[in-house]
Amino acid sequence: MKRNPESVLNVLGKTQYLDDLPENAGMLHAAVVLSPSAHGRFSGLDTAAALAMDSSVRVVVAADIPGQNELGTAVFDEPLLAAGEWHYHGQVLALVLASSRSLARKAAARVAVQGAEQLPAVTDPREAAARGNIILSPRTQRSGDVDTAFLACDVVVSGRVESGGQEHVYLETQGAIAWPDDSGGVRLLSGTQSPSGVQKIVARVLGLPMNLVEVETRRLGGAFGGKEDQATGWAALAALGAVVSGRPVKINLNRRDDMVATGKRHPYSSDFRIGLKKDGTILAFEADFYQNSGAATDLSPAIIPRTLFHAAGAYHIPNVRVTGTMCRTNLIPFTAFRGFGGPQGFFVIESAIDAAARALGIEPADIQRRNLLSDGDEFHYGMVAEDPRAKETMERCLAKADWNKLRADIRDFNAAHAGLKRGAAATPVCFGISFTKIMMNQGGALVHIYNDGSVGVSTGAVEMGQGVGRKIALVVADALGIPDSKVKIETTRTVTVANTMPTAASTGTDINAMAAKIACDQLRARLDALAKDRPGLDFVQLVALAHEQRVDLSAHAFYATPGLHYDLATEKGKPFHYHVYGCAVVTATLDVLRGTYQFDDAFIVHDIAHSIDPVIDRGQVEGAFAQGLGWAALEELAFGADGRLLANTLSTYKLPDAHFMPRMDVEFLERPNPGTVANSKAVGEPPLMYGIAGYFAVLDALKAVHPDKPAFYDLPMTPEKALRFLSEEDSP
Amino acid sequence: MKRVIRFRLNERLYEEEIGSEQPALDWIRKTAGLTGTKEGCREGDCGACLVLLGGRGMDGRPEWKAVTSCTLGMGELDGRHLVTIEGLASGGLTPVMEAMLDEGASQCGFCSPGFIIALTGFLVSGQAIDPVSAMASVEGNLCRCTGYGSIRRAASILARDFADLPAGLERRLPELARRHVLPAALAQLMLEPPEPAGSQGAAFAAIHPEDPSLVDLGGGTDWYVRNPDPDPDLAPRFSDQAPGARSIRAGGSAERPVLELGSAVTVDDFFASPLVRNLAPGIERFAADMASPPIRARATLAGNIVNASPIADLTSMLLALGARLVLEGGPDGERLLELSDFFLGYKKTDIRDGERVRGILIPASPLRFNFEKAAKRARLDIATVNTAMAVTLAPDGGIASVRASAGGVAPVPLRMVALENAMVGKQPSAALAREAGKLAYDCGSPIGDVRGSAGYRRRLMERLTWAHFIRLWPELGLEKELLA
Repeated sequence: MKRNPESVLNVLGKTQYLDDLPENAGMLHAAVVLSPSAHGRFSGLDTAAALAMDSSVRVVVAADIPGQNELGTAVFDEPLLAAGEWHYHGQVLALVLASSRSLARKAAARVAVQGAEQLPAVTDPREAAARGNIILSPRTQRSGDVDTAFLACDVVVSGRVESGGQEHVYLETQGAIAWPDDSGGVRLLSGTQSPSGVQKIVARVLGLPMNLVEVETRRLGGAFGGKEDQATGWAALAALGAVVSGRPVKINLNRRDDMVATGKRHPYSSDFRIGLKKDGTILAFEADFYQNSGAATDLSPAIIPRTLFHAAGAYHIPNVRVTGTMCRTNLIPFTAFRGFGGPQGFFVIESAIDAAARALGIEPADIQRRNLLSDGDEFHYGMVAEDPRAKETMERCLAKADWNKLRADIRDFNAAHAGLKRGAAATPVCFGISFTKIMMNQGGALVHIYNDGSVGVSTGAVEMGQGVGRKIALVVADALGIPDSKVKIETTRTVTVANTMPTAASTGTDINAMAAKIACDQLRARLDALAKDRPGLDFVQLVALAHEQRVDLSAHAFYATPGLHYDLATEKGKPFHYHVYGCAVVTATLDVLRGTYQFDDAFIVHDIAHSIDPVIDRGQVEGAFAQGLGWAALEELAFGADGRLLANTLSTYKLPDAHFMPRMDVEFLERPNPGTVANSKAVGEPPLMYGIAGYFAVLDALKAVHPDKPAFYDLPMTPEKALRFLSEEDSP
Repeated sequence: MKRVIRFRLNERLYEEEIGSEQPALDWIRKTAGLTGTKEGCREGDCGACLVLLGGRGMDGRPEWKAVTSCTLGMGELDGRHLVTIEGLASGGLTPVMEAMLDEGASQCGFCSPGFIIALTGFLVSGQAIDPVSAMASVEGNLCRCTGYGSIRRAASILARDFADLPAGLERRLPELARRHVLPAALAQLMLEPPEPAGSQGAAFAAIHPEDPSLVDLGGGTDWYVRNPDPDPDLAPRFSDQAPGARSIRAGGSAERPVLELGSAVTVDDFFASPLVRNLAPGIERFAADMASPPIRARATLAGNIVNASPIADLTSMLLALGARLVLEGGPDGERLLELSDFFLGYKKTDIRDGERVRGILIPASPLRFNFEKAAKRARLDIATVNTAMAVTLAPDGGIASVRASAGGVAPVPLRMVALENAMVGKQPSAALAREAGKLAYDCGSPIGDVRGSAGYRRRLMERLTWAHFIRLWPELGLEKELLA
């Protein structure tokens, strides 16, 4: 069996993450001073107690920044170090350097805020919107004529939907190491999904041209979007520390600081209205999404359109009007997290369908099946569905779960049991692939064939466990006609491939493997030209000959996803290269007495097209589903009314463990996807949405206890919410 | 505080002066330079820092457990043996690693060494080698990438391939070496725990009880969470280094038999003890409700009590079991205290200057026992509330005696005295369960926090009291009536 060499290192314990690298002599360690509340002003910092601890201690503040004190990309509203005012609990006020990590942390704890004045904090997105605290302008996508369509409906249902935030819990916390360079610049090792993004911001903060900032990313111990923009600040702080001190500086957050001070998935509060014919055909849908964006813009302007693009789920709805508003609150700036606004959109349409099913007296699955996308259907943003696989995957998934028998078995079981109730739900998924910001759909690769026939490949892709390196190696090996053992994937460095995009939006392989393949095709063409006159040479001999004959054995190539266009004025265009489809059926058993539940089975049929590595792809599907299930039915990102994060450690923030997860039965729909590398489809994000079925499976079981009680759409499901539904009254 | 300790790390013996308060994780990574052991949370909740810890068990024979090195003090290693991922990997890929690889169970890889340690520890010490037990062994490990499907498949392969392992370390370790799960030289050393640098009792006594830097520690599984980076001048005194502290014995008189538990008895020891299992038949099934295997291997009953958390699971059980505490070393010499009298306020106890727990006494008359716990996650989570109930029955089936506890509804763990009074002398019934449920609903003064609202806690206490009745008297079939 072929093994991923990266994974071999992992299981041997040899993989070096950022904090595993040997430390340089003289290296300083950094810790941060965080704001103590959600909103406040301060006049300065009292550093005397910290400085008195040791001569190595140094406190770096906003005034020490040689360039711009600004991390923002879309909007300039996110200082690296707060100056005068903080806008969320956990905002960085100062950087503390010391000779050891322990000392730095203890010194940071002794830095006192001076002249603190608490200011009012807004944590609720609707309240922020009502006060006019919004980022940029609301966006609306529409198709057909919703107002007229609602008049023609047999039933119109409206409701409110809440979905909570989600902490990434990448197992390796955020970190960076910076070395001052004799050029006057810095060299950085950064735990980022976006080395070029780090390079740009560090250059801005230090007031340097980008060519004096070199950023390398070796690998990440998980990221999930949490190290897309949110890794930049830590790298910038390390770089600032290195420039200020003239020494190498390492920053590596402990879990609590990481949880308090880094962005997470956006909580949303939404309203919907859905109109249907008696037979379950959806005629009209509208939704208002209030995105809790947090205190700074971060990636929110890219995330809100993805919510809108996915607001109609896997369905064709002829009349749609959906509006998204980015609400500025005094919480941590929320950020990218696998799915990138998509899951919040899906949960609203699935909630609307659940509510509509109740109003019509039919099963949600009947509405789902009736309205799935067909070939040629136009999405509400103007793109036409080509080769949609929604019906195929859902029907296969229902067959896999033996849906009709399952429903009958559940009815029988529930009739026979008072203390336990079972439930089941299906969630079909259709997810668009491409960065929503069109310019980001580009990438480069640099391939070297060394004159012994071994190959080194550099791209903009960052390996974070998703197996992108392995997939690129397989594509390269195939393109060059060599064994994959000859291919080494290099670390991601801004000096080898420049101006790269973050490894995100599920596009890592689509873009970077394609760029690598184009480079390999060039090299192959050069070798093939030689081989014509010298048949019978193997690859190594051919390479030696090429070197001898002064043929360039290196190639750089560039790939920009073709055919994308979007008109912001009309909100119409083709924002996606293609869509990924699939469906999950999840079953759950509810303990009626205690309000607890367990998930029993998950049946998944996923549109993989062609799998470059089935072991990796299966892991992506299962892992994304687990994160989705955690978001839907376990992980509670609890904030206090004062805006402080309450679930700030792994003892208070619970994510899926092995026991939580159901049996998973994953099947691939294999039909090539022309126009992509190896006819594959991206796999990172789409399966996350399957977790939503878990919410509705528990809700289905709850309904078996109280069929007439109105359902609630307040994700995550928790045992507390379940027990409240099971026993409404306030006294015994 | 620095102390000379002698221990083995993988195949190498160390005898060095080392800060006894230092978490083993830091020493392994920074001093020994073995970075395969990872820091994921530094509070025993993720398992990325798992190592195998060898020493001598209650019976004096070699014993191996997977433990979290972030909550393990270096001072505890005197006379012990640590195995890290590097120790397992010194001969290349092992079957555990190969199973993980072939199933794709390592994605980002940060958690992988911890899972491999846990699964290897399972093969070394597991009682039953089957897929369910294999997965139970990784209940202290978090993975954010895989969704655990591939890990489950790898665990099943191991359970299948190693189902025939012989019992007993003396036979099993050589077999595991033969099958390349362990390097042969390491497997041999794992049967020979090193001698401690000093006699453990002497080292234990050497720390002066009036020294302000003294900290009495049980397993450290909670203390290190609150003190992740302890000051080097702290002098931890580890309870399992007190002579005879890790023992469970039958004692008392013929009329009032008791179980005597030493201060170093771990959660594992407690649930494994035949004496405890005889006292409260079926109690062992509640072991999985608390913490995780690596924590249960280290956490002590005494520590769980002295920590005085209002939602301590073991304390809740011990309250229902009628436990008393034996305290020693204080101005009044030895004291005997009802456990329920020990808690004075939130995290405040009646422990006096210089005092420490010497042991726990549990009345040894058999009873029906049930424990209920509500938490966000079924495994490895801190309780929102917990409650235990223990009853003895009169010949006519009436309730002869009852003790019931409630955790998470007040600043201290409670005995539910009003509920007990209402139950005693009555016949169990749904009506009585409802009455008891009402009293449980009102038994405390819960507050709302990250684990649940005050109202939820009250409702849980009512429902879990019903659950006690359903489980304590399964023959009555009360569930349908109570849920009607």
